[in-house]
Amino acid sequence: MSLTVATSTLTREEDRREEVAYGSPVHNSIMGFLIKEARLLDHRQLKAWGDLLAEDLIYKAPVRITRRVQGFADEFGTMGHFDDDYNSMMVRLTRLTTTDNAWSEDPASRVRRFITNVTVWETDQPDEYEVLSYLFLTRNRAEARDYKQLSAERHDRLRMTKDGFRLARRSILLDQVVLGMPNFAIFL
Amino acid sequence: MRHNARQDYLKEAMSQFIDLENREVSVAALHDEELYELELENIFAKAWLMIGHETEIPKTGDYVVRLMGEDQVIVARAADGQVHVSLNVCPHRAMHVCLADSGNARVHKCIYHGWAFRPDGSFIGAPIEKEQMHGNIKTKDQLGLKKARVELYGGLIFATWNHNGPSLDEWLGDMKFYYDMLFARTDKGLEVLGPPQRLTIDANWKTAGEQSACDGFHTLTLHGSVIDIGAMGGEADTEHESAPAMYGINLSGNGHSLRCIPADTSWALAHGKGDLTPEQRLEAFPPPGITPELLPELKRNMSPEQLHVLAKAPPVVGGMFPNMNILFIYSPLRDGSLGSALVLHSIMPKGPHHFEWTTYYFAEKGTPEHVKEMMRAAATHGTGTSGIIEQDDSDTWPHMTESARGVIGRTETLKYQAILGENRPDDWPDKAKVYEGFGKDDAQWEWWLAYHRLMTAGA
Repeated sequence: MSLTVATSTLTREEDRREEVAYGSPVHNSIMGFLIKEARLLDHRQLKAWGDLLAEDLIYKAPVRITRRVQGFADEFGTMGHFDDDYNSMMVRLTRLTTTDNAWSEDPASRVRRFITNVTVWETDQPDEYEVLSYLFLTRNRAEARDYKQLSAERHDRLRMTKDGFRLARRSILLDQVVLGMPNFAIFL
Repeated sequence: MRHNARQDYLKEAMSQFIDLENREVSVAALHDEELYELELENIFAKAWLMIGHETEIPKTGDYVVRLMGEDQVIVARAADGQVHVSLNVCPHRAMHVCLADSGNARVHKCIYHGWAFRPDGSFIGAPIEKEQMHGNIKTKDQLGLKKARVELYGGLIFATWNHNGPSLDEWLGDMKFYYDMLFARTDKGLEVLGPPQRLTIDANWKTAGEQSACDGFHTLTLHGSVIDIGAMGGEADTEHESAPAMYGINLSGNGHSLRCIPADTSWALAHGKGDLTPEQRLEAFPPPGITPELLPELKRNMSPEQLHVLAKAPPVVGGMFPNMNILFIYSPLRDGSLGSALVLHSIMPKGPHHFEWTTYYFAEKGTPEHVKEMMRAAATHGTGTSGIIEQDDSDTWPHMTESARGVIGRTETLKYQAILGENRPDDWPDKAKVYEGFGKDDAQWEWWLAYHRLMTAGA
């Protein structure tokens, strides 16, 4: 089994077709989806966030590796901080929302997710889009003076359904090799 | 404080930090900076430390950079095919020689002045050979990277700076008999499922270190959410009666420890199948990580005594002194079957108030690829950064460390006074200290005794 995953399998550049213009109705509606998602997560409306996930979800955050500059294609490991599908994500959400002893987020962190630099591409599927966004996240907990921060880019597959967009794939490319926060009891 | 003064301080201090008679440890030990410096010298520069697995560096020149205490080392496979561990500090001007955290290189060349080293750490030379920029006081043989002593065990790479100390076998002692059931049980051995997760936890390393020595008790409360969602053997309203994963056999020796727990008492999927004989159970629930296909290999590689242990109650969690945490646990897989997650953590100190939590996932080499992928996902789901079990642990250790900042808080003690006592069952091998029953503090206290021995060994 190989130890690294080719960066291209995370970015899925080969799935991108025509770029969707910034400010166009499709771009706006996708931006709206990403903002809504961040709002639901920041406000700990986890069940409502879970409703936005497609049942064929792939949700990964591979570990990052420091490489010589020529090695970008090998900067991500087969192991990740998340390696989830729909069912495993539902177990996470059930734990956080239905039990009263999920201590890693009880008391909860105060989290803000800032989503910027959104690029949208059409794909071979008329109702599906490849979406790249930047994430900047601040997390504060208890009386901590400092914030735990995280920056990443997210490579998403969004699918338009009769109920709106659903997240079918998210590859989170983190900028930290050694994470500064003690866990991912939060979603990215 | 200079080295000698620190060691003098230690003689005084250890009796205040650890109350051997009452089995208590001062909370101040989670905060004290002098003590921390001594731990780096007396423990992390003396103990055998697990720093990776040989399947991470299969080819000549492959390397990973790892920590031994706060010292960075290059772990590389050299031209002789062997794994070498060398300090990542240039003997010229102390620059880090290796700047990536993994890769392949025939030559490690320092970017500062160009001193060059082989993967085995030996010095090749400095640029402009005729000018002999390494001088003529020291020979090239004396200018290699500092080498650690290395031993491989089940492919795990262990290293120590203690060149004249015990061998790894001696270090593990009787516990090796049990560790073999995890690390040396199949023909081809384990392999890593990728490069490790790494994260920083704002806590003293000993909070996680001592917990790894069989703290089963915290499962019921800290991991109560996992019981509540029905993943473990008990149910929320009866947890205090059913106490999933609490009854078993704890083992301890030289500060190392393991908890042996029958599958049917810990995981919901195995529940209600407790009427089997040990032999039937071995067939029905091969130990974590062993697929039915690998069972014949297991039987071939293990002694009858070891097979009996594996059938009755396989070792599933525990630690290796001073800073390794082991979880070779049953775990539901994506396809609905009862599979497993094989996880090792190392706990590397980063100052008295922080440590790096490094997480490795494994599978037996003979495991089908699609099963390896499910095992990796199961391990990620349960343990490490986002693990629904371990994310609660990472919340606890910083609180303990913060308690030690208060001048009154640090006068409190960690108490290890729930004692089961050695009580080996008749059918259990006479190896290491054996505690059968509801898991108590025995093995964790043994961890502190090993800590005490090593800290005071040179004093």
